[in-house]
Amino acid sequence: MLSHLFKLIWNKKGAHSLLIIEIWASFMVLFGVLSLIVYNVRNYLQPVGFEYEHVWNLDLASNQDTLEVAAKLERALQRVKAYPEVESVSRMSSNTPFSANQMGNSVTYNKVEVGADFYSTDGELSKTLDLKMLKGRWYQESDRVSKFVPIVINKAMEDKLFLDEAAIGKVIKVDDKKSFKVVGVVDKFKSRGEFMSDEPAVFELLAKDDVWNANMLIKTKPGTDANFEAKLVKEIAVMLPGWGIEVSYLTESRKNRQNLTLVPVLIFLIVSGFLLTNVALGLFGILNLNISKRKNEIGLRRAMGATEGRVTTQFLGEIWVLASFSLLLGLIFALQFPMMNVFDLDSEVYIIAIFAAIVIIYLIVTLCAWFPSKQAARIHPALALHEE
Amino acid sequence: MIQNYIKIAWKVLLRHPFYTFITLFGISLTLTVLMVLTSFLDHLFGSHYPENKRNRSLYVGTVVQTDSSGTTTSSGPASFGFLVKHAKSLKSAEKVTIFSNFSFSNTYVDGKKIKLNTKYTDSEFWYVTGFEFLEGKPYNDTHIRNGDHVAVITDALRDQYFDTNGETVVGRNIEIENVIYKVIGVVKGSPPTRLYTYSDIYFPYTAPKSNYENKGMRGRFVAIVLAKDQSDMPAVQSEFDSNIARIPFKEIQDGQKYSVLIVKADKYFDHFLSTFARSDSQKVMFYTVASLILLMFMGLPAINLVNVNVSRILERASEIGVRKAFGAPSKALLWQFIIENIFITFIGGLFAIILSSIVISFINSSGWIAYADLTINIPVFAISIVVCLLFGFLSGVLPAFRMSKLKIVDALKA
Repeated sequence: MLSHLFKLIWNKKGAHSLLIIEIWASFMVLFGVLSLIVYNVRNYLQPVGFEYEHVWNLDLASNQDTLEVAAKLERALQRVKAYPEVESVSRMSSNTPFSANQMGNSVTYNKVEVGADFYSTDGELSKTLDLKMLKGRWYQESDRVSKFVPIVINKAMEDKLFLDEAAIGKVIKVDDKKSFKVVGVVDKFKSRGEFMSDEPAVFELLAKDDVWNANMLIKTKPGTDANFEAKLVKEIAVMLPGWGIEVSYLTESRKNRQNLTLVPVLIFLIVSGFLLTNVALGLFGILNLNISKRKNEIGLRRAMGATEGRVTTQFLGEIWVLASFSLLLGLIFALQFPMMNVFDLDSEVYIIAIFAAIVIIYLIVTLCAWFPSKQAARIHPALALHEE
Repeated sequence: MIQNYIKIAWKVLLRHPFYTFITLFGISLTLTVLMVLTSFLDHLFGSHYPENKRNRSLYVGTVVQTDSSGTTTSSGPASFGFLVKHAKSLKSAEKVTIFSNFSFSNTYVDGKKIKLNTKYTDSEFWYVTGFEFLEGKPYNDTHIRNGDHVAVITDALRDQYFDTNGETVVGRNIEIENVIYKVIGVVKGSPPTRLYTYSDIYFPYTAPKSNYENKGMRGRFVAIVLAKDQSDMPAVQSEFDSNIARIPFKEIQDGQKYSVLIVKADKYFDHFLSTFARSDSQKVMFYTVASLILLMFMGLPAINLVNVNVSRILERASEIGVRKAFGAPSKALLWQFIIENIFITFIGGLFAIILSSIVISFINSSGWIAYADLTINIPVFAISIVVCLLFGFLSGVLPAFRMSKLKIVDALKA
């Protein structure tokens, strides 16, 4: 049966080569778009690992003021903390959640080097963002002993850097004057939002005299509104003349961040959707023409006792063989991506995308061939043979 | 003759509405997407309000510091001092403006928060950009010298912040972060996609919190160098390059380990491209990927059309047989079919223009981009026509070739 179908297709290889190219090209487009979607959906399904609902980001800039900046920052922090509307507040480096800033660095332990996002924060962050501790605890100022700087890492970092060992208590040497000591492990921290993959992260205790990291995350009590915000900005501005002050809500930054991913994906989805509709319509037209041209053949088969179902299966089988051949061609290209680790994506993403693309292609060709072959099979043998 | 061909093509179109629909759907859809895309790219990179002079502007946006092997790289906008020294001094340029990159702030009015984009500029900014003043006028060198707290705002901010009652807001005060500025002008706002000139409020660079006094090479300022005309641009670029080349090594090191300094005055698109493709090989890669995507995108509908057309040849076999029997040369048949296809493509093109103007007006009015001014302009239209022709030719030539090769006997038999 299968070899017979191959023979039928081979006999018309000229006309079929164009069809094969078309299905192959559709497969490649689908594979590309689906990889993008699978990658993002997989990331989206993992929680960000922190609470951002009532959290504000207060961004301070000392501008031309260079006198006692650290002390002024500390005073501002205490002032913010004193408001009854504020639940908790912590200082953080400028790579606050959902911001566009990134600070990457690599850490080496036992010859294993891992690149991670570095966040400088104080002892309050786990409270402000409700970070889920897996092991150990969040660092405090008292954890800083001589040259040991306490750090908290996330699960992804623990798995990558320490492999099978437990992370708590491990010391990572940075240089002669500074070493990190792990005091806790948090679950996930996807600071660039839902669509970021779960990457290694390191939280480092902010130095007491630090003047560079002038962001504050403020967790407000529910129901706090812009009136409090205006009051806060005004009072801080009086306290710190000449400083830049900007307040943004994490919920808003999150939305901006999401759109950065969603808009391109949506555009690709719409465009490829139209492309595939186009292909499906064309395929339908071509199959319709091709099958109606083979009326005599159908009539003969029906006269010899083939049932409607068997005729339909023949035509479906033909298009399936054709599609399989194009997909085989497409797989040669598509499999390069997971094998060569293109774009550093998890090979699972590509494999899922390939499978989904194959399923969708088979679905489209089956749908396009179903109606014409059904119609052809219904022809009465007498009528079909009569035409000859 | 052509008239006849077109008449035949029209009749063929009407004979099978379903196939006509498939053909037109493919053509018009592809062209629509193409036209909307070119229109959007033109919106991003073309010369539009307020950067009407972009076609003769050079952008100095980033300072890249790196070591000789290129392993550690640090890049960002330049400092005010750096730009004054190396860009403002250009003799071949018509005008040079220096202004801060975007920054954010908030202002509060009646318990309502207004998010602001702020920008600090010099007075030449208003010459280099073509902002339209609805009220008042821009600040000048005197304001800057005196360090006056004045501001130019957009009409959108005016409507949000002030109760205008139809009166002018020039002379009224706006308070931002506890500093009171006097409004001296109101301009028509620009879309946020004009990354460098977009803002809600503009201050003279001597106003508080601009940080123009900062030392070093890196800071938060960018410059636009306006050449006298387009042909002058290479001369301005080479003068700027020689200015940069004269920076002593000690200054390049900037107290750090960097030994190589890359600062370019680029045209807008080149500048944009170089922010994510630094080396030439990366640029080649970018163009290859972009053209591959385009090829795929245009190729798929084209293959589809060829397929449909090839399958439909036999429908017209008898007509061809008769024409051949009466002595029509293959060449004539070839041309007939190509002309027919181009005719169909143009009909599809017409639909595409209607469709894309609907899509574009939808984008403009959706508020997806504030002040969006996407248009189907002449270059976009011309490109679409060329694409139409290419499409028609592409999808017509193979079926036509096959048809003209048909033997008379076979054609007449079918």
